[in-house]
Amino acid sequence: MGGHRPGWLSAWVSWATVLYLLLPITIILPVSLTDQRFLSLPYEALSLQHYARLLTTPAWTDAIGQSALIASASTLVAVVLGTACAIGCWRLSRRSTELVRALMLLPIIIPSIAYAVGLYRYFARLGLLDSFTGVVVAHGVTGIPYVVITVSTALAAFDPRLESAARGMGATLAQTLRWVILPRIMPGIVSGAIFAFIHSWDELVVVLFIASRRVFTLPRKIWDGINENLDPAMAAVAVLLVGMTVLLLLLDLALRRQRAD
Amino acid sequence: MSGRAGHALSLQGLSKRYGSFVAVQDASLEVGSGRFLTLLGPSGSGKTTILMMIAGFVEPSEGRVLLDGRDITAVPPERREFGMVFQGYALFPHMTVAENVAFPLRVRRLGRAERDARVRATLDLVQLDQFADRRPSQLSGGQQQRVALARALVFDPALLLLDEPLSALDKKLRAELQDELKALHRRVGRTFINVTHDQEEALSLSDEIAILNAGRLVQVGAPSALYERPATRFVAGFLGRSNFVEGEAERDAGGIVLRRGGTRVLGVGEAPPGPALLSLRPEKITVLAEGEGEENVVEGRIAAWSYLGAGYAITVATADLGELKVHLPAWRIPLVPAEGMPVRLGWPRGAAVAVAEDPA
Ligand SMILES: Nc1ncnc2c1ncn2[C@@H]1O[C@H](COP(=O)(O)OP(=O)(O)O)[C@@H](O)[C@H]1O
Ligand SMILES: [Mg+2]
Repeated sequence: MGGHRPGWLSAWVSWATVLYLLLPITIILPVSLTDQRFLSLPYEALSLQHYARLLTTPAWTDAIGQSALIASASTLVAVVLGTACAIGCWRLSRRSTELVRALMLLPIIIPSIAYAVGLYRYFARLGLLDSFTGVVVAHGVTGIPYVVITVSTALAAFDPRLESAARGMGATLAQTLRWVILPRIMPGIVSGAIFAFIHSWDELVVVLFIASRRVFTLPRKIWDGINENLDPAMAAVAVLLVGMTVLLLLLDLALRRQRAD
Repeated sequence: MSGRAGHALSLQGLSKRYGSFVAVQDASLEVGSGRFLTLLGPSGSGKTTILMMIAGFVEPSEGRVLLDGRDITAVPPERREFGMVFQGYALFPHMTVAENVAFPLRVRRLGRAERDARVRATLDLVQLDQFADRRPSQLSGGQQQRVALARALVFDPALLLLDEPLSALDKKLRAELQDELKALHRRVGRTFINVTHDQEEALSLSDEIAILNAGRLVQVGAPSALYERPATRFVAGFLGRSNFVEGEAERDAGGIVLRRGGTRVLGVGEAPPGPALLSLRPEKITVLAEGEGEENVVEGRIAAWSYLGAGYAITVATADLGELKVHLPAWRIPLVPAEGMPVRLGWPRGAAVAVAEDPA
């Protein structure tokens, strides 16, 4: 008699949460399509003028390029170091390596503002402030946890007898790594790379602290833009940022799905 | 395969301890060149541990491993040049059958042409040439097992080590592959060391069987020698079935005489005067017809029986020797069994073998 199904409340809460998460995106998308010259909803028609401007204004294309370059380079750093660390811990697999693995997750656990302040002091001494290398190092290091997590997960599912089999057939450690271990955990590495890329792609706090004039990532450019003027191009660039992230997550999902078959 | 002969392996006083737990204790063993030796024992008896010490994956706590008289105890597994079929096969799932088999050759940096030729020849040998481009997941259990064999044989290993190679297969396939494995051993002429807990497999495949119990090698010998003359109660019970008769031994010219109650059982083997044990295989006992005699005769009543198609399994309760199990081919039984029916059992002296109790 009209009684509610079990899970009624939780269903509503879930939907409200989804809505809440999606709301900012549902607002920036129409705003980015406005026909006006200021941050507003479209008045008379939808327009792509702000996207066009985004892709033709050197200041914006520069920022996009810098962000992409920094994200790619720091992904490389994170993937190499994170994979090496995960494999090292897995091979040694002692109590002390558990500690190392936990330490590697610190960048996720520590508030990024605290991390940024610390980096600022170190980088000042090392002369890395406001440099491409500095940002790549910072993003690379903070991207390591994502790679360590996904690669460790992949290694946990790796059958150790495959390694013994390879050694038994005469393979050196390098050969075993290249032909057996790496191919088996590649999905984990790719996942980790995608997350490390996304992490750098939309990171702001650290960049605010350690970069000023020369290094201008996309999130930083939006931040400055918001403070200085209310250009709708910012909404467009935000959509771009979100779009890229969603695309990468879908890629990750697709790769996982493909592997599951 | 080249004409290179197999290699001889020798284990000298091998032990392996994990903390205070002794997994293998003082195992010594000689395996002649080109022989097929099986390590047989129940689960947990230390078979895999011994095999892994031979392969070099497990470091012995004590003892040495010699190959053709050369001490290889300290040589790491990747330098021992042994072929190995792992329990569960451990095929590389991301490679095709041909790539799996080519792996040991790739590791040795063989030229492409020779590599392809050897892979093809080895796949022919195990009758898998049709499946070269499949992945292991697309093969049946029996086919995977053959890929593992091909991969272990392709580089002409000094020794082939097999850890329960047939245990993952169903019974019918197991019998088939057992024959194949035996034929393969003849063809390649290598030294094979096989591990199993299946006594039938061990009996049918091996030139020699080494029986393990709780980390100790109990007895080593040809299958028929172990079956006919088991050294201990464990061997007699594990390798086939056996009745055991306990009593007081007396020496006599033909072997031993065991006295139990009013019955004297004639047996073969050695036992010092005093408490002793005889093993008596069920298929070596017959039911005697009226007037028929034997070296040993015992009367009793049928306590239980079952029909097995090829014959009967009968349990006979006797006054002095307790219950005796008897296996009879259908054509040799002079009566139709029924519970409570009185029967006379007989067996030749050689059927009763003196065995030792196992050390605790
Ligand atoms: N790495 C290890 N650490 C502790 N105990 C082990 C280890 N490997 C094997 N054992 C123990 O040693 C005994 C023999 O094991 P194993 O050689 O694998 O037996 P089997 O192959 O005959 O079944 C078992 O009781 C097992 O639990
Ligand atoms: Mg085992």
